[in-house]
Amino acid sequence: MTTRISGQPPSPAIPARPALSGRGLSKRYGAQHALSGVDIDVTPGEAMAIVGPSGSGKSTLLHVLAGILPADDGEVTLGGRRIDSLGETKRSELRRTEFGFVFQSGMLVGELSAEENAALPTLLAGTGRKEALAEARRWLEHLGLKGKERNRPGELSGGQAQRVAIARALVHRPSVIFADEPTGALDTRTGGETMRALLEAAAGSGAAVVVVTHDRDLAASLPRTVSLRDGRIEADTRAGAVVPA
Amino acid sequence: MNSFQLALRVLRTDGRTRVSAILIAVGVAVATALVLLLVSLPGATESRADRSAWQQFGEPSSGGASLELAASEDITPDGRQIQRVDVAALADPAQIDLPPGIDRLPAPGEALLSPELADAVDHTPGSQLGERFGANAGVLGDDALAYPEQLVALVGHAPDDMPAAAAPQAGFNPGGQGPDPLLGLLAGVGVVVLTVPSMVLVASAARLIAARRERRLAAFRLAGATPRQVIAMVTAETAIAAAGGALLGWAVSPLLRQAATTVPWGGGTWQASDFVLGAVPTVAIVVVVPLLVVLAAAFGLRRVLSTPLGAAGGHEPKPLHWWRLVPLPVSGALFAFLATTAESQFEATLLLLSMAMVIGSLTLAGPWLTSAIGGMFVRRWRRPSGLLAGRRLRDDPRGAYRATAGVVLAVFTGSMALTVLPSIEGQAGALREYADGVLYVDVDQDSLQRIAADTNEALARYGQDERAVAIGDAFLGNDNAYARVVDCDAAEQLLAVDMRGACEGTPGVYTPYPDVSRDELTVSAEFDQPGTSLPADVPVRPMTAESELAPEVIVDPAVIPSDFTPNAGTVAVPSTPANADVVRTALASAAGGLPVQSRQARLDGQLSQLDDLQRVTVIGLLAASILGGCSAAISTAGSVLDRRRTFGALMAAGTPVRVLARALRAEAALPALVATVGAGVAGTLVGIGLFAVVDDGTEVLTPWLAAPVVLGIGVALIASSVCAPALRRVQAEPLADE
Repeated sequence: MTTRISGQPPSPAIPARPALSGRGLSKRYGAQHALSGVDIDVTPGEAMAIVGPSGSGKSTLLHVLAGILPADDGEVTLGGRRIDSLGETKRSELRRTEFGFVFQSGMLVGELSAEENAALPTLLAGTGRKEALAEARRWLEHLGLKGKERNRPGELSGGQAQRVAIARALVHRPSVIFADEPTGALDTRTGGETMRALLEAAAGSGAAVVVVTHDRDLAASLPRTVSLRDGRIEADTRAGAVVPA
Repeated sequence: MNSFQLALRVLRTDGRTRVSAILIAVGVAVATALVLLLVSLPGATESRADRSAWQQFGEPSSGGASLELAASEDITPDGRQIQRVDVAALADPAQIDLPPGIDRLPAPGEALLSPELADAVDHTPGSQLGERFGANAGVLGDDALAYPEQLVALVGHAPDDMPAAAAPQAGFNPGGQGPDPLLGLLAGVGVVVLTVPSMVLVASAARLIAARRERRLAAFRLAGATPRQVIAMVTAETAIAAAGGALLGWAVSPLLRQAATTVPWGGGTWQASDFVLGAVPTVAIVVVVPLLVVLAAAFGLRRVLSTPLGAAGGHEPKPLHWWRLVPLPVSGALFAFLATTAESQFEATLLLLSMAMVIGSLTLAGPWLTSAIGGMFVRRWRRPSGLLAGRRLRDDPRGAYRATAGVVLAVFTGSMALTVLPSIEGQAGALREYADGVLYVDVDQDSLQRIAADTNEALARYGQDERAVAIGDAFLGNDNAYARVVDCDAAEQLLAVDMRGACEGTPGVYTPYPDVSRDELTVSAEFDQPGTSLPADVPVRPMTAESELAPEVIVDPAVIPSDFTPNAGTVAVPSTPANADVVRTALASAAGGLPVQSRQARLDGQLSQLDDLQRVTVIGLLAASILGGCSAAISTAGSVLDRRRTFGALMAAGTPVRVLARALRAEAALPALVATVGAGVAGTLVGIGLFAVVDDGTEVLTPWLAAPVVLGIGVALIASSVCAPALRRVQAEPLADE
């Protein structure tokens, strides 16, 4: 089944978004260097892929940029403000408000319905029940899930579950969406549709998208691709141009 | 690689399986240690009874008696019970076999005392205690005492100076009365009440790896492993943990026994050797407990065996039907009906059956109620934590309830006991024949006047104003109404009767039924024997019996025909709190070994037994609640680990640990509260019903009834305490793990 994004995203106004930057990022796991002095900039509204072989440091870079993992060296800034030196509480709050996340298999809460899963970030931020659910329903409808709002994750297909995860990542209007292998558990066609849904919805809300993937085709469909190898940026390719690392 | 090697490899490589195995081992260890202790209880009481058998009358000997013995009970000034044994050697004392703990037979005028009694004698004026026994000539050893603190006096006499109650015997009584049936019953109840939560603990531990193991075994099945091979794998995995646990339980059981020796029962604590269990039952328990766990684990595999694909793919919980609620009111109504009507033994058995049905109904209704509470949260949630907890309870009410199921039985039993016991306690001593403060000795006719006179002589010697009164026994009329032969004033003072001013008139017959026929005014010394007529003009006056045990008729000696002699009677002395000990000493020394009784002594005995029951109930409840709390905590940790990836992702996305912990706390605590409060209410209602059967009195509801609720809250707190640590552990793990 092909799903079309219906109309404009729920938010008509697109606010100015801050840029995300990493400078000299290093991360070690014991003696192994997962990242070695990585510099990277994510401009507002852009979509980029991070690719590389297993163990190259893709997921570590995403987690460090998102403030899930602390870097051993280097700094991460959002809109010029350092976020890597913040305490865990502040970083959690930042992740809750400025970032959205889409994981490989959705990671939805099995006990909650699609609309409740999608509403979770806004509910956790203190938005009222009715308002949060209404906003979640608008995003689900926008992502082609009208009629599935009350379904549990177990009653959804893999692609539908990922769309719920996308709605959850977008519902609180983040600046950056981090997607870790978002199509890894989907077939090629469903994966392609899901990515389109993610990119279109993100573009409509002005959010940047950082996608970690093994899928070269998926990476090629994005305007920018950063290739990692052994914890270093091997190549940074923009559509039509290669930026030397 | 065989099943055993495979199980060892899994244990070595999988941390969560290792944790689960350790918890299973702990659960089995606790169950084994508890069962070893509880099964040893009847033997422990038998050991006590054997050690103290010599303190009781033995078989009377018609010929070849080596000693004469009288056993009686007494109390100290502070109300503790003394076991008194009066003995006189009829043969060469060196030829008399002495019980363990007794070095020699006391000579006439001497007494051997237990250490605790010797200490009491040393610290009490002689007229209040020591003079009852004679010169302290030595100490009785522990082997001669039921329990270390027992107060025992072995008092030596010359054969012609023995109490009237003495009987010749071939030797000291060699055998005890066997196990205490009450503690035997409680041990049986304890095995069920404490083993069930232990097994729930084991089941909760197994749940920690249930999902992972199901997937692994389903993979084996899909790869072509036979059901037998799969069963062998699980059996080996569980058997390693369970056998280790059973051995651990056996190893720590001496510590538990040591702790049990400090719990008083029947007047005192225990000797460590009391709880020793024979090799055969010990081995049987150490084998059977883990065997049951292994069988349960193998039984739990039936879904993997029948539908490996289904197990691998997960399953949806089935909704609970409303009919789960039906048995509770039905069994409750049946119990209430039987409780108010049961009279025969058969109906009493039905009553117990209906009680078991109430327990079973609770187990059925519990998950439904848990689900209903979950539904309430789902409908009315305001925070995500309420929604998450409600959904979880609604989705798996059986699982949520199962963790606290072990506590349900304990709380139900405990609440029932804590309702019945204080109510019975409230009735204790209510049945009385004598007025408060009266000390009395039941004697035969030959001793009646002598003991009264000797007591009065001793009382005068001690400077007391109180005087002993001899009260004869008689039976009035063809109905054989129990009558006491005593004058009106003494009856008013000594017996549980209200003479209602009748003593103002001339001596007569006093009874609550003053319209008694003149033809019935005959007295006999024996039950159902032809009586001697009282004078035709004897006045019959009304009086009121203040208790069911109080005499139905008082006959003044002045109206008794001169040819009537009662066969038995009582020497009774009034006392005040200030002189009760002196009066007791005077009466005891005159009675020469016959037991001195009082309402207070009987009341103390009843209250002491009720205290014992209340104590073991609370200890049992506490133990069951700790086990239940651990089960609930492990279940909670299991439920976090089952959803570690989801929780990990939520926390990575910025969800604070405290928000998820709040949801999990509600999820863990609610079923525990529902289970314990529900079981507590049901137990109380059943307790009230049971009390209605055994007594017509009013139930006494004490603050102890709050104990199960407090323990329920404790279980809930223990259960919910692991939420935050478990979440933090999940947070620390890489998202890609699993």
